[in-house]
Amino acid sequence: MSADAAPVPPTTGQPAAVPAAGGVIHDIGYRRYEGQRLGRAQIVRALAVQSLRSSFGIGRGAKAKVFPVLLFALMCLPAIVSIAAMALNPRQGQLVGYDTYTPGLRALVLLVFVALQAPNLVSGDLRYHTLPLYFARPISRTDYPVAKLIGFTTACLALVEIPLLILWIGTISQVHGASAVWHQTRELGPGLLYGLAWSLLLASIGLVLASVTGKRVFAICAVAVPLFITWILATVLSHIGLRIFQPASGGTPPALASLAGLINPFTVLGGIAEWFGSAPKVVYARVALARGGPGPGPGPGPLVNLVGHFGPLYGVMFLVMLAAAIGGLLVRYRKAEIA
Amino acid sequence: MTAVSADPAAGRSWQPVAGAVIEADALTMRYGSTITALDQLTVTVQAGVTGLVGANGAGKSTLIKILLGLLKPTAGHAAVLGRDCATDGFEIRTMTGYMPEHDCLPPDVTATEFVTHLGRMSGLPATAARERAADSLRHVGLYEERYRQIGTYSTGMKQRVKLAQALVGDPLLLLLDEPTNGLDPAGRNQMLELIARIGAEFAISIMVASHLLGEIEQICDHLVAIDGGRLLRADSIRSITQASPVVLVEVDDGLAELRAELIRRGLRSVGYERGILVEVDDPQAYDVIRDAVADLGLPLTRMVQRRHRIEELFRADPAMIAVTGGSSVS
Repeated sequence: MSADAAPVPPTTGQPAAVPAAGGVIHDIGYRRYEGQRLGRAQIVRALAVQSLRSSFGIGRGAKAKVFPVLLFALMCLPAIVSIAAMALNPRQGQLVGYDTYTPGLRALVLLVFVALQAPNLVSGDLRYHTLPLYFARPISRTDYPVAKLIGFTTACLALVEIPLLILWIGTISQVHGASAVWHQTRELGPGLLYGLAWSLLLASIGLVLASVTGKRVFAICAVAVPLFITWILATVLSHIGLRIFQPASGGTPPALASLAGLINPFTVLGGIAEWFGSAPKVVYARVALARGGPGPGPGPGPLVNLVGHFGPLYGVMFLVMLAAAIGGLLVRYRKAEIA
Repeated sequence: MTAVSADPAAGRSWQPVAGAVIEADALTMRYGSTITALDQLTVTVQAGVTGLVGANGAGKSTLIKILLGLLKPTAGHAAVLGRDCATDGFEIRTMTGYMPEHDCLPPDVTATEFVTHLGRMSGLPATAARERAADSLRHVGLYEERYRQIGTYSTGMKQRVKLAQALVGDPLLLLLDEPTNGLDPAGRNQMLELIARIGAEFAISIMVASHLLGEIEQICDHLVAIDGGRLLRADSIRSITQASPVVLVEVDDGLAELRAELIRRGLRSVGYERGILVEVDDPQAYDVIRDAVADLGLPLTRMVQRRHRIEELFRADPAMIAVTGGSSVS
């Protein structure tokens, strides 16, 4: 067909018997798409929404939903226990705070969630060489990882912050007076912001580590192992620091104990909370214990932060880790093979 | 292409030709300093079905990637549907469907989900993507199977899904890279029929890259042959296949005598491998060859109508040049 030849009009509504297929196929011909087309930003949004949904196994069959649902339920548990305790004993205050929530549980749940779900978002497209199909569309090499990051950060955000909202709703339904409600709400704000920091950092680290390989099992290990090892290492080092070096009389923990947390995202996030003065009680208790306190309780002595004067360094480290993860992700897809 | 200095786009001295579907102008692509994938390729492709023929490594896939705006050429220019590939990649990729050569399908989703998702990625709203995904899969001949996971598909069905995802965004141009790869002969024919139908009935221009000329010459209006990144030939199928019919005559011995005899009887011929290529301008020539062989009493092993083989095109067809030029090669 030459350029000037008129296109053959599609035959419409003619039933054509095609015996080979074992039935009658109604050939309604080819229909052109005349409707509106999405812009680049809307395509990115569509990819981000799809990534968010598949992070929770939506649209991926029942089996894919098991772990996300379990982890979500686990994450909600402290909030529910706290609300229940308040309901049973009106004098009982909140068991967990909006800011740090339960840091150990939050870290563990996010570790498992990120290690399991980040590979689902990126390793399939690498393993099955689906990426070229994206890049052959109006999607740039930056759009793809950015959309994945937005989607996965939102997924982590839902996992981290919906329990906070449950806690808030449960609490304000039991407190009396507008001022108490306002107090709760004011407390919630920083908690949500802190949750965003968790989600953003863990999602970007999870994606960049998962995108190193297309093999799902290896990708899970690539995410879980570094996060877990550095977490253990940071904890052990800070304990060694507290045990070996007796804190100076001023109550400042030794530098090793204060700086050990810089090597792991979870402890970096914990350090930031301490820097802003909302460390969980357990940190104070640990410091007190290391200083020779007789029991698990902090005793009468002054309570100190584990991070000491190094709080701002944790803030810097957070930004460095975030920049490295996002930068690494963008570079990864800039260099990705398009076969 | 009048260069006006007052033109705001004066920096862009190159302008694509209006009306051409694909245009390459002195297109050169080098990887490092040693590998030249495309070498001064200049070709214009009009609407219709065009075959892009070349051996593996001839530069077909590189050309497709440049056309999609995914690779920046070392030198030269390319345009698709009047858009400059160097600057208007997004626009080009909105109007173009691409079917890669390699496997690109996840096994754990259904064809419907997969094609719908890629329809979204082509810029279709959700409802339109679903409708067009169903349409595209139907056009490529997948019906109830489309609700099955792709992992359960045969190679032929997978190739169809690859074609459907290229079709879902309602492209004006399809770039198909080795669409018959891995298919059995029946599957090849079905795929070729499908491509021909899309080109003819859907009024979508298609460029089919293949290393098998014999295969795609059946469905193409035009042919672009490249080798080592250089253009060998770009012409309509008709002018290529009708240029001069040739018969290959093979005899067990007495090749030289036969050639002399054929020349004496007024036929132009040339030695080719273990036989002789003879130009047959009119049907009478077949009889002349038969008589010549019979009269000389030679043991005739083969007498076949030559189909262009890709290697012949790639050697810039020395045998054919020799035949039509009447000069002797052997």
